[in-house]
Amino acid sequence: MSGKGGELNPRPSRFSWPLLSAVLLLMTVSCAFVHSSTLGDGGTTAKQMVWFTVGLVGAVSLCLVDYHILARWAWVGYWGAILLLLLVMVIGVDRNGARRWIELGPFQFQPSEFAKLAVTMALAQFLSRPLEELRLTNVVFKTLGIVLLPFVLILKEPDLGSAIVLVPTMLAMMFVAGVPVRMLARIVGLAVVVGGLLVADVLFAPEKFRLLKLKEYQRHRLMVYFGKDFAPKNATPEQRAYYRELQRQKAWNVQQALISVGSGGLTGKGWRQGTQNALGYLPRLGAHNDFIFSVIAEESGFVGSILVVGLYTVVLFSGLKIAGQARDRLGRLLATGVVGLWFTHVFINVGMNIGLMPVTGIPLPLLSYGGSAAVCALLAMGLLQNVHLYRRSY
Amino acid sequence: MLIIDQLQKDDARLRVVAVVVLVGLLVLAGGLWRLQVMAAHRYARSEEAQSVRLVRVPAVRGKILDRNGIALAENRPSYDVNLYVEELRSSFAHEYTNQVLPNFRAQQAQNPALKVATTAETRRWWQVFSRKSRTKSGQRLTLEQRRDLQESARVAVYSNTVQAVGQSLGRPLAVSSERFLKHYRQDLALPLPVAENLTPTQMALFFERCLGIPGVDLEVQAIRSYPFGSLAAHVLGHLQRADEADNDPDPLVFRYRLRDYQGVAGLEARFDEALRGRAGVKALRVNSQGYRHQESILQPTEPGRSVRLTLDLEIQSAAERALAQVAGSSTRGAAVVMDVRSGDLLALVSAPAFDPNEFLGGMTPEEFARLNDAKLRPQMNRAVSGAYAPGSIFKIIVGLAALESGVLDPRESHHYLGYWPLPGNARSIDDTAPAGDYDFKRAFKRSSNAYFIDHGIKTGRSRIVAMARRFGLGQKTGVPIGPEVSGFLPDDDYVAELKDRRDPWTEGDTAHLSIGQGALTVTPLQMAVMTAAVANGGRVLEPRLIQEVEAGAGEVSPVPPSFPRRDAGVPMRYLDLIRAAMLADVEEVEGTGREAAVPGFGVCGKTGTAEVKQGRILVDKITWFVAFAPYESPRYAVVVVVESGGSGGHTSAPVARKIFEVIRRREAGVPSAPVVPKGSRAGVAAGVVADGTWAVAERQEGGRP
Repeated sequence: MSGKGGELNPRPSRFSWPLLSAVLLLMTVSCAFVHSSTLGDGGTTAKQMVWFTVGLVGAVSLCLVDYHILARWAWVGYWGAILLLLLVMVIGVDRNGARRWIELGPFQFQPSEFAKLAVTMALAQFLSRPLEELRLTNVVFKTLGIVLLPFVLILKEPDLGSAIVLVPTMLAMMFVAGVPVRMLARIVGLAVVVGGLLVADVLFAPEKFRLLKLKEYQRHRLMVYFGKDFAPKNATPEQRAYYRELQRQKAWNVQQALISVGSGGLTGKGWRQGTQNALGYLPRLGAHNDFIFSVIAEESGFVGSILVVGLYTVVLFSGLKIAGQARDRLGRLLATGVVGLWFTHVFINVGMNIGLMPVTGIPLPLLSYGGSAAVCALLAMGLLQNVHLYRRSY
Repeated sequence: MLIIDQLQKDDARLRVVAVVVLVGLLVLAGGLWRLQVMAAHRYARSEEAQSVRLVRVPAVRGKILDRNGIALAENRPSYDVNLYVEELRSSFAHEYTNQVLPNFRAQQAQNPALKVATTAETRRWWQVFSRKSRTKSGQRLTLEQRRDLQESARVAVYSNTVQAVGQSLGRPLAVSSERFLKHYRQDLALPLPVAENLTPTQMALFFERCLGIPGVDLEVQAIRSYPFGSLAAHVLGHLQRADEADNDPDPLVFRYRLRDYQGVAGLEARFDEALRGRAGVKALRVNSQGYRHQESILQPTEPGRSVRLTLDLEIQSAAERALAQVAGSSTRGAAVVMDVRSGDLLALVSAPAFDPNEFLGGMTPEEFARLNDAKLRPQMNRAVSGAYAPGSIFKIIVGLAALESGVLDPRESHHYLGYWPLPGNARSIDDTAPAGDYDFKRAFKRSSNAYFIDHGIKTGRSRIVAMARRFGLGQKTGVPIGPEVSGFLPDDDYVAELKDRRDPWTEGDTAHLSIGQGALTVTPLQMAVMTAAVANGGRVLEPRLIQEVEAGAGEVSPVPPSFPRRDAGVPMRYLDLIRAAMLADVEEVEGTGREAAVPGFGVCGKTGTAEVKQGRILVDKITWFVAFAPYESPRYAVVVVVESGGSGGHTSAPVARKIFEVIRRREAGVPSAPVVPKGSRAGVAAGVVADGTWAVAERQEGGRP
C-alpha cells in the first residue's frame, strides 16, 4: 500500500512540508490580521501568539507518539469531552445568552472545540473496524449515536455552528471508511428532509407549533439568511415598522461583512487601512474572530482572500494526500476526519463572510483569534503530521 | 487534476471527497470573485454611503466695491466656539460609569419597584452554584434603561462643558438639551456651535482658559457685512438664508449644508451667481455610531467674484445725508447723481433705507414692522421703482417740444392772468407765478403754468409725448437693479383707449400734461437721464452702475463705459436756451431754485411740485429738483425728489445744493470728513438714520487728539 513511494524515493520526507509551510503562513496571516482587526491592540496579538506556541508544542508532542497509541486513548478523550460539555452547562460563563466557556483563572476554555477533535478521533477509532462490520445497521446506528450525543450537548449551549460541523465530518469519515453508499444516502436523505422541515418549521410555523426551540437570535439569523420578512402577516403598520427596523439590525452584521469584503475590491485597502472595522461597522467583538475573514478581504482584496483560500487548499489536499498514503484505515480515517473538520469550518466561516451561509459563530481555523480554537486547529495539524510520519513504520 | 491524481488510483472514495472539497473551495473563490471583482464598485459605494457624509461648504462671497475700491459689502470674521462631540466620547463613558450609573443604583436601592423591573431574568437552578453569573444577571439593565442612562450622561457632559465655557468667557451661554439631542440625532458629524461672535476680550479669555476643556474649539466663519450700514442699501440689496436642499442646483447629494445665503434684492440678487462663487464639498468619514472620524476636502470652494460699482461712497453718503435732513428717518424720496458725460451713476439714493445687516441675523418685531410699513416702504427703491408725476420739471420737455415745433418764440412776451381758465365750466388751473408779462426765460424761472399751458396746447399732446419719449421717458433705463418701472406717457394708444371709454382726451388734459400733471409719471432715474441729456448736448445715456465684475483668478471684465442709447436729436440752440433758463432758475433773483445755488459752480436747475389729488382734494405733493452743473462744462446731473415735501424750491433744491457742495469740494481736492464704517453692529447704523445726522464721521473727528 505504501511501499511505492519508498522505492522511488530513497529519502522520503518525514514531514509534509507543504502542509507545514501553509500552516506557518496561516499563523503569520492570523497574527497580522488579529493585530489589524483589534486596531493595533498588541495584547490580543501577543495572546494569540501564546496560543499558537501552546498549540505547536501540543502538536509536536502528538507527533512523538504513534497515532495507534493515541487512538487507544480516543474513548477517554471522547468521554472526557462529553463530561466537559456537561460541565459547561453548570459552571459555564454566560456571554450573550450562550454558555460555551469554562473559566480557568484568567483564561476561558471552550470545550466544544476540543469535543470536535475528540469526536473525530473516536469516530476514526470506531470506524477502523473490519469493513464487513460497517455494513451492519447497528454499527451505523452506533456511529450516529457517537456523534449525536455531543451534537445535542453543543446544540444546547447553544452553539449551532459547532454542532453542525460534526455532521459533514462524520459523513466524510463514514464514506471513506466504506459504509455502503446506499446507507449513507439514506442518512443524508433523512438529514436533508428533517433539516428542511425544521428550517421550514422555524421560518413559517406559528410560535406554538415550533418543534425546535431555537433562541430568538438564531431564528433571526436564519430568517435573514433565507430573506424572510420578520413581520407576521397580520401585523399593524407600527408593528411592521418595528419589525423592519429589527430586520435591519439583525441583517446588519451580514450586510457589513459583505460591504467589507466587496469594498476591498481587487487589491484591498492595505493592511490596517480598512474602514469597516476601524469605524465600528463590523461587530467589534467578532472582527478578530468570526469575522476576521472580512477584515482580511477588505484590507488585502481579492488577491489576498484568494491567497488565504489557496493556503487552505494546500492544507486540505495535503491532508487528503496523507489520508491516501496512510498505512492503515485508522490513519486514513483520522486524516479524513481532520480534513472534513477543517473544510467544514472554512466553508461555513468564509461562506458566512461572503453571504453564502447564514451567520453562525464558528471560527476560521488558525486565522480567528481564540485560544481553544487555535490550539485545537494546531492539534489537528499535529494529528495529520503524525499520520504522515508513521505511515511506513510497521 | 494534478492533486487528485496524486491520490492513489484505487482510492475512489477519497477522490470523491477530494472533488467535494475542491468544488467547495471553488464555490468560495467564485463568491469572492463575484463580491470583490464584479460587485466591488457597488460595495465600495455602499461603504461610502454609510460612512461618508458630504457637506456643502459655501464659498466666501465676493465684495461689492465703490468706484474707488472701498468695500460697501464685504465679509467679516465671526469667531464661534464649537463643540466637537466626538471628542467627548470618553467623557460620556466616564460620566456614565462614575455618575449616572451609581446614581441610578442608589435610586434602585431606595425604590424596590425599580429593582424588580431590572431583575426580570429568571434564574436556572444550576446558576445557584455560580456566584458570578448570579450577580451578573441579577442587576442587568434593560436595553431601554441603558439607552436612557447613556443619553442622560451625554446631556450632562454637554451642559457641563457649555457651562464651563460660559463661565470662562464671562458670558452665560444657552444650554438646551433639546438642541443637543437633536444635534446628536441628526448632525452628529458636524460641530455644535455653542457661542457665536466672540468679542476680542472673549477670544483672549478663550485662549487663556478654555483650551483645556475637551471637545471645545474656536472656529472662524465669514459673515456678510455692510460696513456702512444702510448706505446704498437699495443698490446693494440684501441676503436671505438659503441652505435648504430645494434651491440647490448642484447634483451632488449633500447630507449637510453649512449656512449659506442668497441675494434676494438689489445687486446681491442681480449678481448672485458671480458673488456667490462655487461651493466646495467636504467629506466627513463617520463611524458606525455617526461620530466624525476624519474629514477631507473633495472640492475646494471657489471664492465669489467682486463687483465694482460706479457709485462714489462720498457722494452717495452726502446725498443720503442731505436727503435725510428733510424729515429725518421718515423722509420719503430719492436722489440720483449721474456723470453726464459717461452715464456713471455716482449716487443712487432711496429714502427711507434699511440696514442689510439686519437680514442676516434675527430681526426684532419692531425692525420687521418698520421694514413692512405701508407708508414708509423702506424696501422699495424709489429711484427706479417710484413713478411720480413730474410736475414743473416736465416743462423742460414741453419747452423743447414747443421750441422745436415753432409755436414758441423765446423772445416773445405774453401777458398772463396768474391762472389758466379751462374751457367749459371746469375749474381753472392755479399758477404760482403772478399775473404779468412773461417771455420764455421768465416763464421758465418763475415756472409759469399759464405760459406753458398756452404753448403746450399750441404744440399738442402728441408732439410733447414724442419729445418725452426721445429723452427716454416711458421706457426703462436698463439699470441692473429693480424692479424698474417705465413710468407712463399718454401716448396715442392711451388716447384711443380713452376714446373707447367715452372719456376722450381734452384740451384740459393737454393743459395738465403741459405742466407735468395728469396721466404722466416718471422715475427719478429717468429724470436724471433726461437732465444729463439736456446738459451734455442731447445724448440720452444708459445709466451705468457696474464698472467691472472680477473674473476668475483676479482678472477683471470691465463693463464698457456707457454709450449713448440714442441722440435726442434736438437742435443745440434749443438746448442752450433750456440750459440758460435753468441757470437763471437757480442764479437769478426771480428763480424758484435759488436755494440750490452754489456760488461759482454754475448750478442749473428746475424745480417741480406735483400735486397728488384724489378728486379735487390735494392729498400729497411730490417736490422735485432736477439740476446739472457746472453751466460752462456740465459734468454732474443731480435729481432730488421728496414725497410730501413743501415745494421743489424749498424742499428739494437745498438737498441738491448740499450734494453739489460735496461734489465741488471733492473736485477741488479739499478733503472732506471721511466716511468711515460704523462699528460692526447693525444697530448703530439704524440709529444714525433715525436722528437724521451722519454722526459717525463727526464723532471720529471729535475723538481725534
